[in-house]
Amino acid sequence: MVNTMETNNSFSFQRFTMLCKQSFIINKKLIGISLAGFAGTLFILLMFSQFQAHFSNWGYKEYRITFFFLFFTLGVIYSSLSFPAFRSKEKSMAFLMLPASATEKFVFEFLSRIVVFILLMPLYFWLIATFEGLVVHSFVPELTNYKFSFNMVGKGFLSVVKDGKFEFWAMILVIQGILFVFIAPFTGASHFSKSPLLKTLFAFSMIIAGYGFYVYLLIKGLNLEGVHPVNDRVLFIHNTDGALLFFGILSTAINLSLISIAYFRLKEKEA
Amino acid sequence: MLNDVFLVPEEFYFPAISISDYQKAYAPFYPNFDHAMLDRILTEFELRKDNNLQRLSHGQKKKFLIAFALSTRCRLLVLDEPTNGLDIPSKSLFRKILAGSLGEDQLVVISTHQVKDVENLIDKIIMLDKGKVIFQQTIAEISQKVCFISGTSEDVKGAIYSEAVPGGYRLMMPNGHAETEVDIELLFNAITKGIKIG
Repeated sequence: MVNTMETNNSFSFQRFTMLCKQSFIINKKLIGISLAGFAGTLFILLMFSQFQAHFSNWGYKEYRITFFFLFFTLGVIYSSLSFPAFRSKEKSMAFLMLPASATEKFVFEFLSRIVVFILLMPLYFWLIATFEGLVVHSFVPELTNYKFSFNMVGKGFLSVVKDGKFEFWAMILVIQGILFVFIAPFTGASHFSKSPLLKTLFAFSMIIAGYGFYVYLLIKGLNLEGVHPVNDRVLFIHNTDGALLFFGILSTAINLSLISIAYFRLKEKEA
Repeated sequence: MLNDVFLVPEEFYFPAISISDYQKAYAPFYPNFDHAMLDRILTEFELRKDNNLQRLSHGQKKKFLIAFALSTRCRLLVLDEPTNGLDIPSKSLFRKILAGSLGEDQLVVISTHQVKDVENLIDKIIMLDKGKVIFQQTIAEISQKVCFISGTSEDVKGAIYSEAVPGGYRLMMPNGHAETEVDIELLFNAITKGIKIG
């Protein structure tokens, strides 16, 4: 038989497609169970919450809280389960010996653990919430505010982007902030083989606490408490727009660094 | 490229799927995969395609992995302790299948402590001691220089190396006797004790 596989060592769509197909064949049962479990749990959770609110005080605010709570909680848990092959030596060996490049494996993990979740989870939530709302409304007509809508969920959330000329950076900051919540556990999962989520949370807590302690010592040690520099002495942040620009770039750089760390960790394991 | 290399590790992991699903998931990565060969070897190993891989015994899993490895038709197969976990009939079957399934362009590297299990399969021996290569010769080269026989205490004097075994001695003699099968275990013990061959 003639060897017909593409020989591109860094990225081949043919191999990437095979990787997706392979993952689906292996995980199809788990995916089905998880989707059914999520649908059932969400249905019951929404119904229970509406029942607690006597089917009358339930509205967009409650939908928003439920959605964001599930979106971030499940997202963090799901992305912390990235690189499942790194949880044991045997799985790592099988994963690393699979004939696909590190880039293909990495892109697949990133897409399936972060991008697909961010795109599909809201859609799935919308489906279940709408279905649940319709079902409950048909039995309890006093529940009138049952049509879940992302317009309402998003209302106010991105309002910061609508004012000023730097709205682009404000949007970047919000997007990067959301992505950070997923990328941090993703990178942690590439690094820690056992209990990656706990270790990631601990690592970030230590970094933040360490930085806070360093700043505290700096302010106390140099007696900077009473120093209020005039605007032109501040290096580059003069107003809200400047702050948005700075933190927008900073958050992008942090996320890109975290993604790079995860990628090079995979390359390191491969070597 | 990894699609031309297949490793059968000593300890391995299988997902909880059937053999046929495993074949669908993994075979496409190997462009020369021989599906008919996999079917044939599975039949010889008495494995069914609807068997769930996680419900198989360790030995059955190993047999499946060996069957899959051979069917990939990779040019380099690395088998780490391939006979560990196999029962006696399966070891014999393994030897038969391995000898009958390899093409001319394929190289198999077998790493093993169970040298008796693969004695008749190999044509080059590389011995490692504490990570260093201490011996590297083909079976033909070894056979030209030494032979391996059983003998009595009287034969020990003329032997390059000898070991007492129940009922007499195993002897490594300078060639001059008829060509014999290479006793890898005896050879290894001799080499690790500093005896030089050729």
